[in-house]
Amino acid sequence: MCIDIIKGCEKREIMSFLSLVVKNPFRNKTRSALAIVGIAIGIMVIVALGMVTGGLKNSTQSTLKAGAAEITVVQAGSNSFESGGTINESTAADILNLSGVKDTTGILRASNTSTSIATTSSNSSQGGFAGPGGGLSITGIDSSKLSLLGIDSLNGTVFTNSSTNQVIMGKTVAQDLNKTVGDTIDLYGQNFTIVGTFETGSFLTDAGIMMPLANLQNLTSNQNKVSDVLVKVTDNANVTTVSNEIDNAYPNQLTTTTAADQANRINQGLSFIDTASWAISLLAIFIGAVGVINTMIMSVYERTREIGVLKAVGWTDRRILGMILGESIVLTLIAFVVGTIIAVVGVELILTLSPSVGGIITPSFSYDIFLRAFLVAFLVGVFGGLYPAYRASRLSPTEALRYE
Amino acid sequence: MNNTENIIEIKGLKKSYDNGKIKALNGMDLEVKKGEFISIMGPSGSGKSSLLNMIGALDTANEGSIMVAGIDLMKTKKLNKFRSKEIGFVFQMHNLIPNLSVIENVQIPMFETNASSTEMRERALELLKAVDLEDKIDQKPTKLSGGERQRVAIARALVNHPSIILADEPTGSLDSKTGEVILNLLKDLHAKENVTLVMVTHEPYVGNMAERIVNVLDGKCQNIVSSLS
Repeated sequence: MCIDIIKGCEKREIMSFLSLVVKNPFRNKTRSALAIVGIAIGIMVIVALGMVTGGLKNSTQSTLKAGAAEITVVQAGSNSFESGGTINESTAADILNLSGVKDTTGILRASNTSTSIATTSSNSSQGGFAGPGGGLSITGIDSSKLSLLGIDSLNGTVFTNSSTNQVIMGKTVAQDLNKTVGDTIDLYGQNFTIVGTFETGSFLTDAGIMMPLANLQNLTSNQNKVSDVLVKVTDNANVTTVSNEIDNAYPNQLTTTTAADQANRINQGLSFIDTASWAISLLAIFIGAVGVINTMIMSVYERTREIGVLKAVGWTDRRILGMILGESIVLTLIAFVVGTIIAVVGVELILTLSPSVGGIITPSFSYDIFLRAFLVAFLVGVFGGLYPAYRASRLSPTEALRYE
Repeated sequence: MNNTENIIEIKGLKKSYDNGKIKALNGMDLEVKKGEFISIMGPSGSGKSSLLNMIGALDTANEGSIMVAGIDLMKTKKLNKFRSKEIGFVFQMHNLIPNLSVIENVQIPMFETNASSTEMRERALELLKAVDLEDKIDQKPTKLSGGERQRVAIARALVNHPSIILADEPTGSLDSKTGEVILNLLKDLHAKENVTLVMVTHEPYVGNMAERIVNVLDGKCQNIVSSLS
C-alpha cells in the first residue's frame, strides 16, 4: 500500500523551495495580476521604445556605410536637405582637384508636389512620402555615381543617363506607393518607368526616387545647377581635413557637412528620444514598483501567522526573506514576459498596419533591449520585495503566532 | 540520553513583558523525563503558553536556566536549528498553509534539513499513513475537516523526528469526539515514535490523559500530580 502511494507520488510534482516561491504569489490572483500589469506596462514601454529608437539608430549607422560619400557640400546658408540647384555643376569637377578627394558628383534634390501616381494625384497629403519640400523626394544623379549615395545594389537595372522616362525607387517609397520594378509613376506630369528599386538601410535615402541628373535639371529648370556636391575622400585622407580644405577653398560660398556630423545630429535627436523614453519608463516602473511593494506588504500582513508557523518549524530568517523576495521577483519576471510580448506584438502590429511608418522604421531586436528590460524587472522585484521580506524575516515567532 | 534522563530542565525561569509590568513566568521550575507525556494546566494568563514558548525556543527568558534536549537555550544562538531538529509544534488552530497540498504541508519543516525531495516525500507519506490520511495527500487543507487538519498538523510536527512534541490546546477547536480521536492519536504516536509530549490544556479530561499533570499559576509550578489515567 505504502509502496503504491510512493510510486504514485513520484509521478507528481516534486515539492521544492522554488516551487513554493513560484506558487505563493498566486494565492491572491487578482492582486498579483494587478501588480503584474503595473510592471508590465513599464517593461512594455522600455521594450517598445527601445525597439523603435534602436531601429532608427541602426538606420543612422547605415548612412556611414563604406563606399558612400563622406562629405556633402552645399551652398553657404542652405542645408543639405534643401531642394533646388544653387551650385554650378562644374564645382564638382573643381573640388575633385583638391588634395585628398577621390571622387565627387553633383546631385540635384527636388520634390514633387503637383504630380500624380498612375491615375491618382501624388502629393504628400495623399500617401506619398513627404520629401524635402513636401511630396516625393526626388534626386537627380549620374547613374555611375550612385555608390556615393550608398546605393550599391539594385533590384532591376539602373537608369541610363540619357533617358527621360526612367527612375529607380527606394524601398520605403516603393512599399508606401505599392510600386515595383516595371510599374510606372507620374512625376512632373510625365510617366516614368521604375527600372529598379534599392535599399541602403538609411531611412532618408530609401524614402527617395533617383533619376538622371540632366533630366531632373530640365524638369525643374535648373540647367547646369546642382543642390549638393557629394565628396568621397581618398583612403588615407582625413575627412575633417578635406572638409576644412573645401570650406577654405570656397569661403562664404560653400559649406560642408560630413556624414559623421549628420549621423551625430540624428543621434543627438535619438538621444533626446532615448532620454524621454527612459523618463517615461522610469515613471511607469516607479508606479509599478509601488504596486509590487503594496502587494508584497499585503501578502506578508495576511500571512503573519503562517510566517510564525514557518519560524516555529525551524525556518531561518534568511529562508523567509528569500521566500518573500523570490515571490516579488516571480511577479516582476512574469511582468517582464508579459510586457515584452505585448511590446513586440504591438510594435510589429503598428508597423504592419501603418506602412508609411513601417517603411521608415525597422524595429531593432537587439538583445541588450531585452536584457535591459529583464534587469529592470529583476531589480524592481528585488527592491520592491526587500522591505516586505525584511519585515517578514524580523517577525517575532510568538507575536506572529498570536496574530489574528 | 536514556529514558530516565531529563529532556527538559527548567530552574528559576523568569519572563516579563511590558517593561516588567507583566510577569508571565515568575521563577518556574520543571523537569520532564525523556519519552514522558505531561500536560500543563492552569487558568488563562497563568503562564502555560509562555512556558511552552520557552521550551520550544520561540521566546527567550529574562532569568533562570532552561536546558532542552541537552541544549542551553539561554546561551545558544541557533534557535531555529534547535526548533527544526528537536521540536514539533501542534497548535490549537492547525495553522496549515492553504495553497499547499496536505503532503506539501507535512514536508514544510524538512526544508531546513538535508533531506532529498524523495526522502521528504517518503517521510511525509509514512506519517500521513500513520494518521490515516494517505488517501488525501493531494487535497488542499480547506477541503478537510477540523479533525483531519489537526491530523495533518500532527504529521507535520513529527516529520523531522523531533525529541519533543509541544501541543498547545490541540483539541481546543474540535468537538469532543474528534478531540478524543486526536488525543488518542497523539498518545499513540508519542509511544510509537518515543517522543516526549508536552501538552497545554485547560480541560481536565484532556489533562488526565497525560502521565503527569503540571499545574501552573502566576508563572510558577504549583504542584505536579500523577494522572489518574
